[in-house]
Amino acid sequence: MTVVLEAKNLTKQYGDVTAVDNVSLAVEKGALFGLLGPNGSGKTTMIKMLTGQTRPTSGSATVLGIDVISDPVGIRDQVGIIPEQETPPSFLTAMEYLEFVAAVRKIPEIDTKADWWFDFLDFADKKNVLCKDLSRGTRQKLMFTQAFIHEPELALIDEPLINFDPIMQDLVKDFLAGYARKGKTIFISTHILEVAEEICSGFAILHKGTLLHTGPVAELTARDEHLPSFFLSLVRKDRHV
Amino acid sequence: MFELFTNMVKEEWRIHSTMFGSLSFALFPVMIFGIAFMGSFLVPLMRTTIPAGNLTLIIHATYLMLGIMVGGFGLLGNEVMNRRFGQASLLAYSARSLPLSEKFIFSNFVIKDTVYYFFLWVLPFGLGYILASPFTGVPLASAMLLLLTLTLSFLFGLCGVFFLSAIYARSRLALLLILLAIGIGLAGLAVITGMNPVLFFPPLLLNSAFTWVNFLVSCAVLALLFGVAIVLFNPESVGSEKTYRDSFAPLLQRFSFLPNPPFTAKDTLDLYRSGSLVGQTIFSFLLPLAVIWFFLSLLGPFFPPHGLLFLIAITTGVIASTMYTWVTMFDTFGPYACLPVAVSTLITSKLTTFAVLQAIPAVFIAAIAIFSGEAAYLIPAVVLGISVSFYAVGVMAWLCGLSPNVLVYDVKVLFVYLILIGIVLTIFTAAAFANPYYAFFAVILALPTWLLVRMAKVRWDAVDPAGF
Repeated sequence: MTVVLEAKNLTKQYGDVTAVDNVSLAVEKGALFGLLGPNGSGKTTMIKMLTGQTRPTSGSATVLGIDVISDPVGIRDQVGIIPEQETPPSFLTAMEYLEFVAAVRKIPEIDTKADWWFDFLDFADKKNVLCKDLSRGTRQKLMFTQAFIHEPELALIDEPLINFDPIMQDLVKDFLAGYARKGKTIFISTHILEVAEEICSGFAILHKGTLLHTGPVAELTARDEHLPSFFLSLVRKDRHV
Repeated sequence: MFELFTNMVKEEWRIHSTMFGSLSFALFPVMIFGIAFMGSFLVPLMRTTIPAGNLTLIIHATYLMLGIMVGGFGLLGNEVMNRRFGQASLLAYSARSLPLSEKFIFSNFVIKDTVYYFFLWVLPFGLGYILASPFTGVPLASAMLLLLTLTLSFLFGLCGVFFLSAIYARSRLALLLILLAIGIGLAGLAVITGMNPVLFFPPLLLNSAFTWVNFLVSCAVLALLFGVAIVLFNPESVGSEKTYRDSFAPLLQRFSFLPNPPFTAKDTLDLYRSGSLVGQTIFSFLLPLAVIWFFLSLLGPFFPPHGLLFLIAITTGVIASTMYTWVTMFDTFGPYACLPVAVSTLITSKLTTFAVLQAIPAVFIAAIAIFSGEAAYLIPAVVLGISVSFYAVGVMAWLCGLSPNVLVYDVKVLFVYLILIGIVLTIFTAAAFANPYYAFFAVILALPTWLLVRMAKVRWDAVDPAGF
């Protein structure tokens, strides 16, 4: 299988704080990979490094064969990203924001694509509303749309289901699973373990910036073990250490 | 409820000290003090050509302008504040979680900002002047009186513009009528007394002859302006949804000849829809410059012929360069972090929007040249003003990247900025005073401007994008 994302000894320090410490992992094409960890474990920093939003202090990583340090913009051109905080520009409407994204990414025929997403995520009535006036859930829908509107080979999503109601969560989970089945890759970070167990094919557990485990979900299933209990046992053990 | 105020002060301190270190922020007023202290030694020299009363006038005008430039609180949308400080959760938003009204929180916010500006600018400047007074032959009592009247001058600018901007946010027609009434009142005063109405500016009156009655009247006027502004302040209504027809696509077409059309189209919509384009033009550009022109017009006899026009052109250039802060205040790099956009691309796009906005100072300088009967020097004055503006924005982009509003309070940044701008202003003011047509030489500033912008792009691409 082709590896689409590979991190080698990735480390990020903010002053005296080590947010990510010597993490190595690989994600294969077509995987729906979950980066799991409690709050403050370094998941967001990891995604920021993998998408060229912040430079690693040491180590290296490639995403779709592109080096995260030498060509961060090149990576963002190829992938779709949903950041932790939904921040579409305040004074553009939802539709205008998608037009803006299309102009930056040079996506043709944006109207048809945008309309499909407005219908799919059920927010067509908010098309002409200023982004600053949208609810958090609708902003999340908009950010979801901008991440997938260019049909990227790889999407990196920080907490994909946050702010969504249960109906929308179900829809999005199905979409992500279907997207991976088409041979595209999804990399999500989350602390909702049940969701990860339900949709992910592979996972990694991060705690206090350190990688505790990485492997396929099927490995756990074969042992008749559940991801939440496995996660909790590892993290609790690490806490005691 | 004093706790809210003290916590806001702490919060402001921590925001800045986290961004560029406590020492760099703490040294900012020390530098203002140093500038005032050393500048005071020039006073005896300046007195040989300009009478003391006129020097006082210049300093008061400067502080009035400072007050005017920071007083546009009525224009502050919560959203702009949020974008400016990125993901920082400010106490200004605590109305959502604490049993405090928006008006109460906002009045604390304005008072906190006023106190901050006082300690950052007004007090250090006054102290520098006071401590230098034994060496410059200025009586200590006069120096202390100057500190008081400069404070009042600053507060008049701040409260006056806060009042006007709060009215602007409610009704543009009401603002127009009030400005008209002020204009008619000042003209009437000039006709009745036969004197320039500037001379009736309360802090100036107090400075020339202090009386308790005048002092108390000044304080009462300030309190009234501030109180009315707070009452009129219109907090952003939560839950209202503003809808617009698609304007982005047509703008994208219109700006297709520019380097980054989508960004310029977005900036244009930001400025227009937030009300900042008109509001900032009035309160951060036209009003301070009108005040400066009004005050400087009294100094005409002390400048060489045509000197006043070129001094206004240069001042306009410096103030016009702050238009860069208008276009950078709407967003941090955050909203672009998920797109294939480099910081340098964003700097280019903000500078492009800035360049489009330069039509405003160009028209302003041209109008001043025509109204002051010096239309013959219109072109050199416009060339000088716009060249200075582009050079100053080049310095700003190099020093501050996309965060000029925040990084200006880093003492190292301000020091380098003042040196780089000061040298250029001195050279070109002297050149234009010597011969108005020497102002054309300002076009050579295009070269350092280009270099500065190049350096800015390289510098800010090499560091993690700031979250503010």
